[in-house]
Amino acid sequence: MGYDPENPMADRITDIGPPHYEQFFPPVVKKNYGKWLYHELIQPGVLMHKGESGDECYTVRVGAARLISIELIREICDVADKHCDGYVRWTTRNNVEFMVDSKAKVQPLLDDLKGRGNRFPVGGTGASVSNCVHTQGWIHCHTPATDASGVVKAVMDELFDYFVSHKLPAQVRVALACCLNMCGAVHASDIAILGVHRKPPMIDHDAITGLCELPLAISACPLGAVKPATVKNSAGEDIKSVKVNADRCMFCGNCYTMCPAMPLADPDGDGIAILVGGKVSNSRKAPMFSKLVIPFLPNTPPRWPETVAAVKNILETYAKDARKYERVGEWAARIGWEKFFEKTGIPFTIKSVDDYRLAYDTWRTTTQFKFTSHIK
Amino acid sequence: MALSKDELKAAILEKALNGPKAQLYVKDFYACDPEAGPRDVKNAANDLVKEGKMDFWSSGSTTMYAAKGRAKDEEHR
Amino acid sequence: MPKHDTPLLDELEKGPWPSFVTDLKRQAEKKPECFDILGQLELSFRDKITHWKHGGIVGVFGYGGGIVGRYSDVPDRFPGVAHFHTVRLNQPSSKFYSSAKLRDICNLWEKYGSGMTNMHGSTGDLVLLGTTTPNLEPLFYELTHDLNQDLGGSGSNLRTPECCLGRARCEWGCYDTQDLCHTLTMHYQDEIHRPAFPYKFKFKFSGCPNDCVAAIARSDFAVIGTWRDDIRIDQAAVKGYIKGDFIPNAGAHSGKDWGKFDIKKEVLDLCPTECMWMEGDTLKIDNSECTRCMHCINVMPRALRPGLKQGATICVGAKAPILDGAQFATMTIPFLEVKKNEDGEYAEVVEVIEKIWDWWMEVGKNRERVGETIMRVGLPTFLKVMEVTPLPQHIKEPRSNPYVFWQEDEVEGGFERDIKEFRKRNAQ
Repeated sequence: MGYDPENPMADRITDIGPPHYEQFFPPVVKKNYGKWLYHELIQPGVLMHKGESGDECYTVRVGAARLISIELIREICDVADKHCDGYVRWTTRNNVEFMVDSKAKVQPLLDDLKGRGNRFPVGGTGASVSNCVHTQGWIHCHTPATDASGVVKAVMDELFDYFVSHKLPAQVRVALACCLNMCGAVHASDIAILGVHRKPPMIDHDAITGLCELPLAISACPLGAVKPATVKNSAGEDIKSVKVNADRCMFCGNCYTMCPAMPLADPDGDGIAILVGGKVSNSRKAPMFSKLVIPFLPNTPPRWPETVAAVKNILETYAKDARKYERVGEWAARIGWEKFFEKTGIPFTIKSVDDYRLAYDTWRTTTQFKFTSHIK
Repeated sequence: MALSKDELKAAILEKALNGPKAQLYVKDFYACDPEAGPRDVKNAANDLVKEGKMDFWSSGSTTMYAAKGRAKDEEHR
Repeated sequence: MPKHDTPLLDELEKGPWPSFVTDLKRQAEKKPECFDILGQLELSFRDKITHWKHGGIVGVFGYGGGIVGRYSDVPDRFPGVAHFHTVRLNQPSSKFYSSAKLRDICNLWEKYGSGMTNMHGSTGDLVLLGTTTPNLEPLFYELTHDLNQDLGGSGSNLRTPECCLGRARCEWGCYDTQDLCHTLTMHYQDEIHRPAFPYKFKFKFSGCPNDCVAAIARSDFAVIGTWRDDIRIDQAAVKGYIKGDFIPNAGAHSGKDWGKFDIKKEVLDLCPTECMWMEGDTLKIDNSECTRCMHCINVMPRALRPGLKQGATICVGAKAPILDGAQFATMTIPFLEVKKNEDGEYAEVVEVIEKIWDWWMEVGKNRERVGETIMRVGLPTFLKVMEVTPLPQHIKEPRSNPYVFWQEDEVEGGFERDIKEFRKRNAQ
């Protein structure tokens, strides 16, 4: 049979959902499901899980780009077929995990991976910088303020040593979202790299009538900066369009999402902000948001040296100063944010003082503070 | 008295075809029958898409409805 | 399609981290449209701006999600990516695969798409990047008929649910994350594939408070495993850690000399509730004071395990900043036994979900996440909707302003009063 373009609805199948997960479990996982006793990291990137049965599952974790080709997936399948009975999994941070059921099978797997150039770096476990999760950027997104894959490649090259080792005070989660919408939800990362726009949208009065529902563009603005307006298009006709109050624009791009005739991306306006100190886990301190410490760095492809240097500086200042187990945000909270700025040498600017909604939560309302070099 | 499903669908389609807005949120159709539950309304609207009378328009993050041919889209400029 | 010069992208072939540029070039040998992906990306690197446009109506017939339309704004220069739509496949729970299944997906994507993917998207889908409108229906036909696979969510739909690997390969899964994720995914196929809500709605399932899928930060409906009895202690293993027989934190700190393991400094003093102490070489825990943060268990996995009375805490309303600012999910139901009934359904979880939906579909504004709706109407109103008894656990601290919205029936005599009677006693 097969698809018949003349009759596209013939024997259509819908709503079958994903295949059941259990068929993809390696035998050692299936057998010990729900009966695991403990785990150990026998070296960076290699985990051993011990079952109540005495069985052991060895996992080799490998960093990968999020953007990968079917050729590379096929190569991953080759490795899985050769060493892992044809099973493999991905983590939530875009790492690939190969699992074997005995220690003897680990080294041949590691050797094989090592023999494949730099495609399969082993690491991302324990007190490391694990894989940097990210969004699409210039490879696929229509609203980005920066690239994603390119920035992440440049950052991970520089932090590589921390991916393949366990030498940090705690795990450090680095994440990138290519615009303020944060479809990558980087708002709870130890170090967040965030694409930001800084110019209000332009309005294409010649295209807006055909492209946009004006009420949607107007209501899309969280701050009411988009208003209806009658303007002349380039043919000299009066048309219904919108105007933007630049003073009220927060550069979120929400209007552009609803109305493509309001582009705001710009080579000079766009760039990167750095936020730090977020965490998701409930371990010790409650989950924390990432906080804005560098409001803007320029977009400098192909390797974004300013962003790479900023991330590395924060990471290494933290690595030197934090206590064992302390996440970046716990460290900054303990020493105080004034000390964070002093130790990292990041200039403090008024852009880090909140004036959006719920801003008061972040203002200091105590006489307790530290005298740092900021106070002259 | 609430509308029957067919009456509700007719009211939704009428609004999508001839209302002032070309693209509508599902909530915009709630007024077609104030007595109907939100689920009844969305099921009726989704039925109209299955029948080829309405289209989904999506920004990627949010979805709207439009009568066939009324939505504004890059490909159909 | 010809090769383009990519001097800027070529710089990203250097360095130790796997290069997506090298990968794209290898793929381009078989799928020449990848040359145009590289060409257009090079142009973006030069122009410092994206060259993609969004397309709104693209989809497979009858589905209001799973496909995101994308067009090049320089199609004449890069015809291979003139249409470049995204296809989201609903990943299997916790992303285990067989090579056979992956090869089937690769073959399908070689036939109908660019050959490039995301493993995986931020919500958890297996994302296929780049195909044309005419390819969508045949791709969907073969996907459902031959691969027994379906699309995930997008737009104002229930988004593709995601879970941690839980009991499959972790000792801390306090409920069966995969089964709950899969069961609810099947239960809500209509909501995943067709819009139903004012905006997106996400489910995420974590097996313990370490929350490896970031449920509390990213999902409207977060189910996070927990327990309500005592942490299980193996005292012999505690002694093993103290003696140095076992490496603390499962070896996570092996790359630096942090000195000899010090249980007081590394466990007892870091306990947020200070509910642990040593009596000689025996570890004691006052479990009634424990808030189940996981730190002690993380540090000594061979000695400590979650209790046996396991279930989950349900938190509602997390989201990224757009629009009102980022929100974590608010603790709503402290403990729920996550149990399947004889019909194979998680009826209690479904009941909680549908209570939220029925209310939010009515009250939520367009493009308002449920966390923002809760913020707008207030947590007290939401707790009433959920028919949940207000508990001190719902708040960090009591309110510090006195502006309580008293209801008329809560006040003796009600709100109606006679001003004339009042004036008889209290002159103007």
